[in-house]
Amino acid sequence: MSTSASLTERRGIPAASFVEDVQTYLSQLNLDVNSALAFLQERLQQYRVVEMKLLAQQRDLQAKIPDIEKCLDVVATLQSKKGTGEELIADFEVSEGIYSRACIEEAESVCLWLGANVMLDYSCEEATVLLEKNLENAKASLEVLMADLQFLRDQVTITQVTVARVYNWDVHQRRLRQAVATPSES
Amino acid sequence: MSKAGSSASETEVTWEDQQNINKFGRLNNRLHEVEDEIKIAKETNESLEDAGNELILTDEDIVRFQIGEVFAHVPKEEVESRIEEMTEKTSKNLVKLEEEKESIVAQMAALKKILYGKFKDSINLEED
Repeated sequence: MSTSASLTERRGIPAASFVEDVQTYLSQLNLDVNSALAFLQERLQQYRVVEMKLLAQQRDLQAKIPDIEKCLDVVATLQSKKGTGEELIADFEVSEGIYSRACIEEAESVCLWLGANVMLDYSCEEATVLLEKNLENAKASLEVLMADLQFLRDQVTITQVTVARVYNWDVHQRRLRQAVATPSES
Repeated sequence: MSKAGSSASETEVTWEDQQNINKFGRLNNRLHEVEDEIKIAKETNESLEDAGNELILTDEDIVRFQIGEVFAHVPKEEVESRIEEMTEKTSKNLVKLEEEKESIVAQMAALKKILYGKFKDSINLEED
């Protein structure tokens, strides 16, 4: 089990401090119960906002990876046809529902869309290297993102448990005060 | 899945308990992800099987096989071997996912025992 008690934050996400004892926690923060609960709820809200952002990034990356794999597939197919002198006949979509036939001979190079309205010509080998590097980067980013999400969810859980414990402690204190205020008849 | 405490509990929550609760939450999230991935893998397998069947029924020699965004004209045998390759890859992935799911379910059951053991009614680890 990780001793994440030593981490105060991860990539901008503040860590939730684990509360050993509710009484000590409240006196350290110098807050009454309601203010403490409000503070914790606000923290939960902040965590939710970050979670939404990370989930959106995760969706983007998860869509990007199959796209890059498809591109690699196409380049590999073009490369395999190169030496044979065969031409590759492919049907492609010109507009929605309308297809046309293309005859691709001896694919010396491919053009890769790099984004920002830029497209560059690459030889098949160079294209494969570039695409594989992009794929590796995307997978690595996704891993880091998943770790961030795990950390975030842990902090949310800790905060939720703290809320429950503060609330219970308060209820318990009220009961004690009531018991003192209305002494039972002996 | 709620993990709220009840109002009468006085049981102290230690850092170890908190880590167990966190781990349970993480496992539960991963379980849902794995179940979704298993569903997709099963659907892909079915599609590949349908494609394979269509291939047997067709009498054309050249099949239009989707590579990337285009449909390339590929000889039937090559399509057959490609589909076989894809099916094998998906099946292997499916086996791996099912194994992961089993492991997660087992770990969650063990954690449930520990947490219910300590907190009894004060904690709820069921799906709502």
